[in-house]
Amino acid sequence: MAPVSRALRAAAGSWAVLSWCCGTAMGGPRFGAAAYSSVPAVSSRESQTKEVSTRRRGRIPQLVKSHVPPRTEKMAVDQDWSSVYPTAAAFKPASVPLPIRMGYPVKRGVPPPKEGNLELIKIPNFLHLTPPAIKKHCAALKDFCTEWPSALDSDEKCEKHFPIEIETVDYISSGTSIRNPKARVVTLRKTEMWESEKSEEDMEEYIWENSRSQNNALDTLLQIKASENDSNVTKEDLLASEVVKNYRSSVIALKNEGETEKNMSQYKESVKKLLNIQALP
Amino acid sequence: LQLDHGCALHTAAKHCFSPMVSQDVQTPAETPRAVFYTSEKDPAKHTEQHEGQHYHIPLEEVKAVFPHGLPRRFQQQIKTFNEACLMVRKPALELFSYLRGTNFAHPAVRYVIYGEKGTGKTMTLCHVVHYCSRQGWLVLHIPDAHLWVKNCKELLPSSYNRERLDQPLQASFWLRNFKASNEHFLQEIKTQRRYMWGKRESTEEGRPLGEVVEQGLARVRVASDAVGVVLKELKQQSDLGSFRLLVAVDGVNALWGRTTLKKEDKSPVSPEELTLVYNLRKLMVNNWKGGAIVTTLSQTGSLFKPSSAYLPQELLGNEGFDALDPFVPIPVPNYSPKEFESCYRYYLDRKWLQHEK
Repeated sequence: MAPVSRALRAAAGSWAVLSWCCGTAMGGPRFGAAAYSSVPAVSSRESQTKEVSTRRRGRIPQLVKSHVPPRTEKMAVDQDWSSVYPTAAAFKPASVPLPIRMGYPVKRGVPPPKEGNLELIKIPNFLHLTPPAIKKHCAALKDFCTEWPSALDSDEKCEKHFPIEIETVDYISSGTSIRNPKARVVTLRKTEMWESEKSEEDMEEYIWENSRSQNNALDTLLQIKASENDSNVTKEDLLASEVVKNYRSSVIALKNEGETEKNMSQYKESVKKLLNIQALP
Repeated sequence: LQLDHGCALHTAAKHCFSPMVSQDVQTPAETPRAVFYTSEKDPAKHTEQHEGQHYHIPLEEVKAVFPHGLPRRFQQQIKTFNEACLMVRKPALELFSYLRGTNFAHPAVRYVIYGEKGTGKTMTLCHVVHYCSRQGWLVLHIPDAHLWVKNCKELLPSSYNRERLDQPLQASFWLRNFKASNEHFLQEIKTQRRYMWGKRESTEEGRPLGEVVEQGLARVRVASDAVGVVLKELKQQSDLGSFRLLVAVDGVNALWGRTTLKKEDKSPVSPEELTLVYNLRKLMVNNWKGGAIVTTLSQTGSLFKPSSAYLPQELLGNEGFDALDPFVPIPVPNYSPKEFESCYRYYLDRKWLQHEK
């Protein structure tokens, strides 16, 4: 029975390494192999090939390893992670001591575990870019860098000497694709001198300050105040008052968003309040 | 039955036909007139309970108050029915309440009546004009500003300002109608300075404004300048408070749109190059007090605007909006079911709608 049992154990071990959907502990396949193998083992290799050819297609490696416990069991909590993943590498379930599950939970089950999980291997991972690893990178690169120029100590000076700013945004999101279309947007910022001469027709959105609407409103209010002999009111007071702010927001909404019932009624109410129109039935 | 298009079949007649048929079967001739008709002839006394009802304007008053103001279809209706009946509706009542509460020491408030085609904006304006003329205001009614920017046979270079163009025919037509509606005012208001018409004729200071109008009518060449003088004088003098001025302009979006007129060298004319438009624009600014400005937007008759445009910004454009801002927009909707019923009851009563089906 001893050679049989050893062969069985070996067969079970190779099964464990090559299996696709092992969900339970090490003992499972062994029981499965024990349940299935009914052919008496003559020699270990022959028995294996014969067993496997009845069970699975494809070859198994000639070299049969006895099952090795994964590296995770030997990892200390405070180990140096940058030596486990020094460079970008595929996800190795035996090297990452985290109980990660990924995949679709079939039939109200749970997502499959990490062992042999193709989903985890397919996706890009950043296990090689943990903060301590990056610190080491920076420390290594420091020897090749020069000092920040001491003359550029304020934002305005930076803008003055280096007016062009390019802004790129990276996104992390979950979805069917690793790419996020919003990340394609690159902003180039530079205010040219001619932009200060931009006229009202060129403006992309409506700005109420210094517009005709503001001038009209202020003139009207000043006239109203003058007729009531209240000449102490200044433009700043008027601009800060509640009615003018209300009016301003309604005009901006009207111009930027177009005209809707809601916008028009809001505008009407704000004008009535601004000009103090009473409705006497 | 072309008049039916104006009011009766405008809204989808979904509900009103069935009650009409049943009621007509019961009481054909006894439908009480009170449902759609009120005997209250003074617009000042119209309140919400009169909403949806027609009121009767005597024909002499029509000739006096609206020499040129009513829409053509309504004029045809007056001729057919031999009476003028106007429906009291909510936007007009709203405007009355605002006008009653106007503070005449404050700058004139601008009201813009807008709405889709055929909803009754011009009729609302006429109702307001009637109200104000009954209250004793001086009504400056420009029935359709679009007439001044298109189909003009004669364009003369203005004598007053070389860059502008005069329109003698339109100006004299308007002066004639203005005189018809505001005779008594024209005798009372005096000019405040001397005006020279050409090299030899002039109107002295202190003469009644009626003389300016006569001058414009007699010498058609200076009619546009006469209109300009009238507008300027009225604006200056309403500040003094001796009378109240109502400026009622229909189709105000014509003032800031484009024209179809061309100069002699075939270059297009922009509105501000027309004397009439230029002077009227000055009147639309709210730097005078003692009155109100009520205007309507009109797409029919407007130039280069899509037929679905009815909102203020669409029809006025940026320039017009900025010029009129801040204004009080007054939307005019289609007939409500009650108003619709009232309208067709009136037509039934007038025997205009003959067949019950």
